[in-house]
Amino acid sequence: MTNRTIWVIDDDVIYKTIMKKIIKKAAIFDMPITFTNGKEALDALIKTVTNKEQVPEIILLDIEMPILDGWGFMVEIEKLKSKLEKFPKIYISSSSIAVEDKAKAKNNPDILGYMSKPISLEDLLLIASTE
Amino acid sequence: MKSKINWSSFITFFLNKPKITGFIVFVCLFAIFSYLVAQQYKIQKENNHIMMNRTLKEIDQNIEQKLKNCYTTTLTLALTINDEGIPEDFNAIGKRLLESNDVVSAVQLVPNGVIKYTYPLKGNEAATGLDILKSKKLKREALKSVLNKKMYFAGPFKLKQGGLGIVGRFPVYNKNHFWGFSAVIIKLEQLLKVSGVHNIDTTNFSFQMSKKNPETFKEEFYLPQKVKFTENNFVTSTVPDGDWKIYLIDLKANKATSTLFISQLLGFILALTFGFLVVLFLKKPAELQHLVEQQAAILIDSEIKFKTIFDQAAIGIANVDTSTGTFIEINNQFCKMLGYSQQEMKTKTFLQITHPDDLKKDLNNVNKLKTGVINEYSMEKRYFTKEGATVWVNLNVAPLLNQKNEQISVLAIVEDITLKKQTEKIIRERENHFKSLFEDSPLPLREENFSKVKLYLQELNLIEKPAEEVSSYLTKNPNITHQLHALIEVINANHACLDLYNVNSKDELIAAKKELFNPNSFSDFVKQLVIITQNQDNFSIDTIIKNAQQEYRNINLRWNVIRGYEKSLDRIIVSNEDITNRKRAEKIILNSQEKIESLMNTIDGIVWECRPDDFAFTFVSKKVEGILGYTAEEWLESPTFWTDHIYPEDKEATLEFCKIKTTNKEDHDFEYRMVAKDGRTVWLRDIVSIVSENNKITSLRGIMIDITKSKEVENDLKKSFDLVSEQNKRLLNFSYIVSHNLRSHTSNITSLTELIDTAESDEEREQMIGLLKTVANSLNETMTNLNEVVNIQTNIGLVVEKINLKTYIDNTLKLVSEQIKNKEASIQSNVNEEIEINYNPAYLESILYNIISNALRYSDKTRKPLISIEFTKENNQNIIAITDNGIGIDLDKNGSKIFGMYKTFSENPDSKGIGLFITKNQIEAMGGTITIESKPGAGTTFKIYIA
Repeated sequence: MTNRTIWVIDDDVIYKTIMKKIIKKAAIFDMPITFTNGKEALDALIKTVTNKEQVPEIILLDIEMPILDGWGFMVEIEKLKSKLEKFPKIYISSSSIAVEDKAKAKNNPDILGYMSKPISLEDLLLIASTE
Repeated sequence: MKSKINWSSFITFFLNKPKITGFIVFVCLFAIFSYLVAQQYKIQKENNHIMMNRTLKEIDQNIEQKLKNCYTTTLTLALTINDEGIPEDFNAIGKRLLESNDVVSAVQLVPNGVIKYTYPLKGNEAATGLDILKSKKLKREALKSVLNKKMYFAGPFKLKQGGLGIVGRFPVYNKNHFWGFSAVIIKLEQLLKVSGVHNIDTTNFSFQMSKKNPETFKEEFYLPQKVKFTENNFVTSTVPDGDWKIYLIDLKANKATSTLFISQLLGFILALTFGFLVVLFLKKPAELQHLVEQQAAILIDSEIKFKTIFDQAAIGIANVDTSTGTFIEINNQFCKMLGYSQQEMKTKTFLQITHPDDLKKDLNNVNKLKTGVINEYSMEKRYFTKEGATVWVNLNVAPLLNQKNEQISVLAIVEDITLKKQTEKIIRERENHFKSLFEDSPLPLREENFSKVKLYLQELNLIEKPAEEVSSYLTKNPNITHQLHALIEVINANHACLDLYNVNSKDELIAAKKELFNPNSFSDFVKQLVIITQNQDNFSIDTIIKNAQQEYRNINLRWNVIRGYEKSLDRIIVSNEDITNRKRAEKIILNSQEKIESLMNTIDGIVWECRPDDFAFTFVSKKVEGILGYTAEEWLESPTFWTDHIYPEDKEATLEFCKIKTTNKEDHDFEYRMVAKDGRTVWLRDIVSIVSENNKITSLRGIMIDITKSKEVENDLKKSFDLVSEQNKRLLNFSYIVSHNLRSHTSNITSLTELIDTAESDEEREQMIGLLKTVANSLNETMTNLNEVVNIQTNIGLVVEKINLKTYIDNTLKLVSEQIKNKEASIQSNVNEEIEINYNPAYLESILYNIISNALRYSDKTRKPLISIEFTKENNQNIIAITDNGIGIDLDKNGSKIFGMYKTFSENPDSKGIGLFITKNQIEAMGGTITIESKPGAGTTFKIYIA
């Protein structure tokens, strides 16, 4: 198996199940790790840094989430940046069609792209091949 | 020579000081007198002494003689003693002895010291049988004669027979054997008498006799003492046979001293008299001397004064030798004036320093003076200074004569008048200047003489009378007024003045202005006369004249009395400014002003003008009454009228805006409200322009337009616009919500169908279908919620009823009673049964339920929930405030999302994120709002504003 890692951060249970299936089908990543909100993902990331484990290569991040939403997560990961040996490729995956959300994503240099749901297998392969 | 001087000065010294000299004379004479007196006294005293010694010697010799006689007597008596020691013929011999010796009063024979034989016995019986050697008193003196084997005179002592007596005892030896004494008794009185003591001058002298007491060794005096002994008022001698001391005392010794004193006093007086006479004698020349000195001092003083005057005088003075022209003497001021030193001046002649143009005249004068044609002269002339500059002086020359009246030199007094000359020049120039100014002035000017006018007014007794009185008198007596007019004398008139009257000469001018041609010019002249009677020295009036061509001209007539002629009015400067054109222009301006004003009043707005610093209005057009109800007069009366009548809410902002714009010099256009006289609020649009002159704002001008009606329309429009945009916003928001919530489901459906298509096994497909069913259910639920929201927003079937708030709260609490019980929550409420509100019952139920159930759901696990419900009023709005002590929420992070759809902020699985969204929509649908205040860990307050 390859050891490419991908994290999915979304509060939609069905979406997460779907993404697991798609990722499995793509067969280029390890089994994805999913989180219900930004807070859970951030805690996991801090743990990774502390244990000197591998940082995920790609993060698929939803915007609307309880506790800590996508924007909040971006603020927190920015603080961790110096401790990360390699900064993950972060993509927003949202069903929001609000213009301001897209603009906000575009203006953040740490976000590589904005993907509107649904995410297809092709989309996944495309971001996986992007260096 | 030198000593002579000293001598004469010495004498002068005494002559000048009569008092000292007199004193010295007095002292010398007194000393001489004293010496003479002392010498005289001394001589007198010595003579006296010699005489006294002689007298005393005589007495002494007499006494000694008598004592020797006594010795003979005793010896004789002793010879009477026979060998048996018995006297023979004692009485007869005694009798003879007594007869032969005048001092002896008795004789005695004293065998073995016992008185046995006495002659004469009579009177001396008492002594018979007395043992002398055994008598204490007599023993010592008796033994003395025995011891010396010599006769010794004892006493004097008191005799037993009476009186003072002396006993002379002669020791008798028989066959070398002491037999006894042969004695004589001498009465002291008798002894002194025979010794001549009584012959001495008792007025001047006194005799004394003394002996040392053999017992006490004290000197005892036997005669009465008349005066005391002093050091040298006596002479003395001793008588050895009796150990006596005899004295002759000068009774007048003290008197001699007093004589001495008198002589001395006389000497003193004499000396004093002489001294005084000397003083008197010397005083006269000293006074004369003093007078001479005084005169000399005065002379010196005045000489110094004149010297000082000469040297220090502020004018130049010189003594000049006219034959040579040299300066014999010259003072400082003269030298200073010309810049030379005195030495330099003395080497010059006046010819050398005099300006050549003035020299001839000067020399001419000098000659005249010499020859006696003139006695003195004075002239203005020029000197050259050392630097070569010219000094103008006023020269005064007078001759100096000797006693023979011959001219020896001249005294020249010069005064520097350069400055005066310069000033004169300037004045001359200035006069010319003024003359040309007067002549060429573009302003018509005349010089006139009003003195005759004034004199006539004085004659009429009008001077200083009340102005009204003068005016009415002159008006009533036009003849007099015309006469007065004719009395004005024209002295001079300039070109402009002649032009004004269109004449060529002064005479023509006088002819042209001869008469007061109409009532106006008459009354204007009366005014001038009134001014003259009030003693004012200037006048100004706009009047009319008629020129030679009979054309009328408007002039500004002005006159001023030339300084110095205020009393007489001899010289008056009259100016006649032609103001015809100006008057015409003024009229045009006035006309156009009227036009503008009428124009302004037709404008449908208030035209105004105000001061830029305090917004005090200087003008408002009449339209103000139509728009605001105030008259223009009311408005202008108070400087703060405008600011006072701005609608209170607009006042601050309006004034601030105007100030800023005015400061920035920007024209402005703004709207505000004012309160009209009848209390209405009037909306005004004010268009303001800044009027400035030389970059300084002089005033603000503008126009106020009544825009109340259009403002009302605008407000309505704004309200409906706000409503529309609010609804639009809500709609847009809703569309986002719809799209977002529906999209999450549809995207899931899309993905799932894809996965179903590509499923590799039936099992997998089954799983996907199962998921699809879940998504379908969620979608349905979302649709239901959205439908509810749409219903709320469209207000369809919204019924508003008057409902009792407490009933609804109680119902809600019943619905959540299970949770209250489980969480042991307590509820507080101030809402009583009387409170009723207009609301949709279903909404109120939903709102209360959502908020109260939230409060219970998000309670803090560390404490028992406490919920309070309060009904209050804030700015006339009813508020239901619900406060809990739950976990709270961080509003900084989540404030914007709190009322959003599907927004949840906790990990509570019951959180759906729909309750508050619906609540907010319901409240807004009822025309109210909802606010939240919260603090994490402290609690949350929701406030529901009921419209």
